[in-house]
Amino acid sequence: MNNNDTKPLNILLFVCNWGAHAAFLTLQDQRRPIPNEIRMVRTPCTGRIDRAMMIKAFAKGADGMAVVGCEPGTCRYGSGTATSQRNTEDVQKVLDIMGLGGERIRFATFLPEQSEELLSFLQEFSSQIRELGPAGIQEAPVVPVSDAQTRKQELQQLVETYDIHACQDCGKCTSACPLALIGKPFSPRAIASAVITGGIHAEGVQENAWSCLTCGICYERCPSAVNFPAFIKELRHLYRQTELPGREVHGGIFHSLMRSQTSPDIVPNRWTNLPEEIRIDPQSPILYFGGCAPYYDIFFGKRMEVETNQILLDSLRLLNFFDVTPRLLPDEKCCGHDLLWSGDKENFMRLAQLNVDKLNDLGIETVITTCPECYHTLHTTYAEQGLKPNFKVVHLYDFLEEQLDKGAVGFDTFPHEITFQDSCRLGRIEGRVDLPRKLLKRLKPKAFTEMKESGNASVCCGNCAWTGCDAYSKAMQVKRLEQAHATGSDMVVTACPKCQIHLKCAMEDPYRREELSIELMDLTSVIAQTIRWE
Amino acid sequence: MSTKKAHNQTEIIVTGFGGQGIILAGRILGMAASLVDKKESTLVQAYGPESRGGACNAQVIISDTPIHYPYVNTPKILVAMSQAGYDKFAPFLTPESILLVDQDLVNPEDAVCDSFAIPATRMAENLGNKMMANIIMIGFCTAITGAISADAAQATISTSVPKGTEEKNIKAYSKGYDYGRSTLKGREKRAAGQTGVMA
Repeated sequence: MNNNDTKPLNILLFVCNWGAHAAFLTLQDQRRPIPNEIRMVRTPCTGRIDRAMMIKAFAKGADGMAVVGCEPGTCRYGSGTATSQRNTEDVQKVLDIMGLGGERIRFATFLPEQSEELLSFLQEFSSQIRELGPAGIQEAPVVPVSDAQTRKQELQQLVETYDIHACQDCGKCTSACPLALIGKPFSPRAIASAVITGGIHAEGVQENAWSCLTCGICYERCPSAVNFPAFIKELRHLYRQTELPGREVHGGIFHSLMRSQTSPDIVPNRWTNLPEEIRIDPQSPILYFGGCAPYYDIFFGKRMEVETNQILLDSLRLLNFFDVTPRLLPDEKCCGHDLLWSGDKENFMRLAQLNVDKLNDLGIETVITTCPECYHTLHTTYAEQGLKPNFKVVHLYDFLEEQLDKGAVGFDTFPHEITFQDSCRLGRIEGRVDLPRKLLKRLKPKAFTEMKESGNASVCCGNCAWTGCDAYSKAMQVKRLEQAHATGSDMVVTACPKCQIHLKCAMEDPYRREELSIELMDLTSVIAQTIRWE
Repeated sequence: MSTKKAHNQTEIIVTGFGGQGIILAGRILGMAASLVDKKESTLVQAYGPESRGGACNAQVIISDTPIHYPYVNTPKILVAMSQAGYDKFAPFLTPESILLVDQDLVNPEDAVCDSFAIPATRMAENLGNKMMANIIMIGFCTAITGAISADAAQATISTSVPKGTEEKNIKAYSKGYDYGRSTLKGREKRAAGQTGVMA
């Protein structure tokens, strides 16, 4: 895969303490030829090696991984084996999409006395990995810790760039902030004053900087137009340069995935199993950029039903409907949005550069995307960060609105009363609050009622860039769902895969499931289901 | 025997209320055909009380060869922007005719021919001036029937409309033209059995 063949391979072996570890010990005692690449880690239960950990191992340079646990039914803790099998299967799927190959991770079970069987398994697995060669992920460079002086200068620079001194201390931001309103001791104004007065490393300030949703409602309300979300983005980058860890959720699995993709040698294998009726054209100068939905579906599918990949398929169907047969990148990589917004600017830049170079080299003229984060990142952030994309970035809604405006296309009635959850990236941050509403007005639902807080005042789905999710995020999501129910609607139409995941997650509450539960559907899918030639 | 070459002669009637710009629409069609597309064309326009508010009409003939008689008996294309106008000319339609109507103003009951509808007046209102409904209709007619070329239509519109409104009118024309193209595409799709995304 890459040319560093001389680098010794790295195969991680997780062994359950209660079972197969004894077999491994026997092999060691008897000096049996355990392959050199194998590094054994003894764990209390293979079920506790979660998917984030597995992915992180690959992100840090593992070439293969064997998880050796106990036979089904013999798990000391009951569910460890089943959990581990499920985790391994999920990671296999992820590795397949990433282009590493699912065969690099394997689950197996051995009894304590099956040392010879374990040995032959290890030998066979090692030779398979040797055949596959190195995985090709270069461990993402650790951000060097900068000295206090530089940091101070950078902070000053930051305060100047975002004109934090313009803050009038009026508190409009805090009184609008959804986190503050839900009761979290959080205040954009307080962060602003802390930064000016040098209290940036106070514990509360740091915690708050990681909790910020960067939803932009404070910026919307600020009379001095202090761009707080962008400032938080940079502040997080500054924090990264200290020894402070970020507050990545879901074990950091998504950040590991994104960082892995910054390696040029990683060639993902996206868009497999496309439904037959979807037409694509590998030569088209119009590219459809999907985003991370397939990864989300694998990861969140373990606990709830999410089908965010459906959004991508429906987008392609809609493009086909209007006779656009787009190109797809089989080796499409992440846009980097979440890396940048969680302070990892270095890796974001690596990813962004790879993407821009690739799309420029292919001669892509137009990139169409449905994900609001991909749209914001490709459309606005890349140029802001000094990259030179030679392509136009169009949101699918823009494309649809243009086509629908030509007329002769109508909609069937949609048998639901709907309300709409704005995406913060498309709405406030890109200032396109009206765009999805234009489309919504064309639809024929039983009723369309806006929530109490909508449009520019819309409330965030509770999390951004997979950082800082906590009880307050949940409380916000619950509040939002209550607002949705208050409209009398039976469906929330969303515009971002993450809104769907987060609102769905809040509905999983075992005590309030009945009263919170409401159907969710992406706007793209609603359109795809009801659009008709007249 | 008659030597009339009906196949390369397009006879058009544009009808509507006086004040909708029916005559101007007829003039633009004819001028585009003769001055830009370099064909022959004639225009006979309703003259009298009609042009002051009643049902009015413009009769246009576009032909590759000289035109000997300027009145239209059996319109190949009928553009109707009022119900009264439609009622008056509907009996002259043949199964080969093409009927274009403003769908909010005309209900083409039992038309004998293929009909295409566009909400031209509503679209013009959305563009800010319902006086442009006629220009939208020209765009629609150009896309559906191809009686005049798109370039000719645009060029003639810019020289025929009041000074300072050219850009707006060209936009109105494009709206109508796009709507026409889209309508044709829709028919094609429906004929091929694809009505929706999922179907």
